[in-house]
Amino acid sequence: MLATLKGLVTTLAWAFRKPVTAQYPKQHLPIQPRYMGFPALLWDDTAGEPFCTGCMVCVRECPTQCMKAEMKDNPLQQEGKSHRRKIIERFEINWNRCILCGICVEVCNFDAIEMSHVHELGGYARAGSRVTLQELLKYGREFQERSGWKPSNPEKNVAGVALAKEKEKRQPAAAASRSEPASSNPSPGKES
Amino acid sequence: MIGREVALAAAGLVALFVGLSVVVLSLVWLERKFLGRLQGRIGPMRVGPFGLLQPVADAVKLILKEDVVPAWADKGLFWIAPILMFVPSFMVWVTIPFSRDLVIRNLDMGLFYFIAVSVVSVVGLVMAGWSSASKYAILGGLRSAAQLVSYEIPVIMAVLGVVMLAGSMNLLTVVDKQASVPYILVQPLGLAVFLIAGVAEVGRTPFDIYPAESEIVGGPFVEYSGAHWAIFFLAEYINTFVVALLVTLLFLGGWQWPHLPGVWAPVVVLVKTYLVVMVIFWFRATFPRLRIDQLMAFGWQVLIPLSFVNIVLTGIQLYYRWPSWSLSLMSLGIILAMAYWQYRTQTAPAQALARSYSQRAYSQRRGA
Repeated sequence: MLATLKGLVTTLAWAFRKPVTAQYPKQHLPIQPRYMGFPALLWDDTAGEPFCTGCMVCVRECPTQCMKAEMKDNPLQQEGKSHRRKIIERFEINWNRCILCGICVEVCNFDAIEMSHVHELGGYARAGSRVTLQELLKYGREFQERSGWKPSNPEKNVAGVALAKEKEKRQPAAAASRSEPASSNPSPGKES
Repeated sequence: MIGREVALAAAGLVALFVGLSVVVLSLVWLERKFLGRLQGRIGPMRVGPFGLLQPVADAVKLILKEDVVPAWADKGLFWIAPILMFVPSFMVWVTIPFSRDLVIRNLDMGLFYFIAVSVVSVVGLVMAGWSSASKYAILGGLRSAAQLVSYEIPVIMAVLGVVMLAGSMNLLTVVDKQASVPYILVQPLGLAVFLIAGVAEVGRTPFDIYPAESEIVGGPFVEYSGAHWAIFFLAEYINTFVVALLVTLLFLGGWQWPHLPGVWAPVVVLVKTYLVVMVIFWFRATFPRLRIDQLMAFGWQVLIPLSFVNIVLTGIQLYYRWPSWSLSLMSLGIILAMAYWQYRTQTAPAQALARSYSQRAYSQRRGA
């Protein structure tokens, strides 16, 4: 009988507590910083271009083969604003196929792809989840701003840092010989 | 003259029906909301503000659903059963007062009429169980017969205690007698017996063994769907409300409230009744369902003896003309004695057993 009364008090105490329900579409629970949503492409602010060079390693490693990528020569590199010789031209991820395994992030050598915070795929068309380069970059930039993302290897991958390092390396060399820079930048003349 | 009477009666019936529908809708909403809060949820929120239109949506869904009749069902009985369940819960309202004037017929044998009529609903349940031609339904029907007949006795005995105190079976007189002291203070034992047996009588958790979803998937209602199931549903909620209303009238002093003018009488009754209904919902949120043997043992070994003790105590108090607080003391003493007895015979041995098990397990682990 005492236990019965205890039980009654226990349930009644809940009536004076705040309900734990979140009314989902109206109210979103906070997403943890390390939440793994769908993969998105990141943006290199120092050069004004994506990190992705279109090397296809993620495309090849993806267990569900949900990605497509095509690369092109990087015009910004010819202008000397970037250190990336190749840059992504088209990229598509079919988020409906993605299993959120994160292998693409693991294998990427250029800090170019990251599991973003996007997790809501509701839409009116099946093809709506096939995400193009522009959208991937948009989601990636949102993710960068919100999570304070930092590249794991900035000396290799961030254009500003890499260019500065290159310059530093070149300047003592340049003092020694002026003819070198042409050979360090071989591609544009040959391909055009 | 006769035409006018008939018209008045018809108008009263329509008003009663509409009022009861509103009451049921409000109860459904209240139950979902209150149960939700007790479980850390918020209940329905989407249909209308605060989900107020949720019961309306439920009702529309039920009415629009296909009404399926099993091929082997006894068709006639199958159609009559819900009505037989609903009609008594509708008929008891004839004598239930909301204030001194707001009553359809003030019967002198009001409580007797109430008990006599409300028992009939068992027949509807058994009939539904039999005519559905389903094992679950028939089990549920038999269970409902056993349960309702057993728990009818404590209900009647608890009512009898109040009748002895008031010296009348007229509900108006019973309420008037509580002008100074409501019977909850005089007869707490009677209130406990009546509330528990009343909850069992309407088959709500923890006494819902005849519709028990997890054992017999809905009992007598298994084969019903659509509007016919809705009628069972309606009757169940009206019965719950009637039990709460009777608790209010018999034990909580009905429309009596100090320093309130008589205009407020129906409001006072409704507020008290809804509070009692919330207590019933609170039981539902707290207790798990009893097993059928536990239910019968509790009814016959605890509730019925207690209700007889209550009557004997009331008789002694009335015969020797002791003051009424002596009855409250005796009632409370009985309740405390019950608690002590339950502790000595059930809780303490169970705890000792659990302790010995844990000690044995501990020593075994140490030995190994």
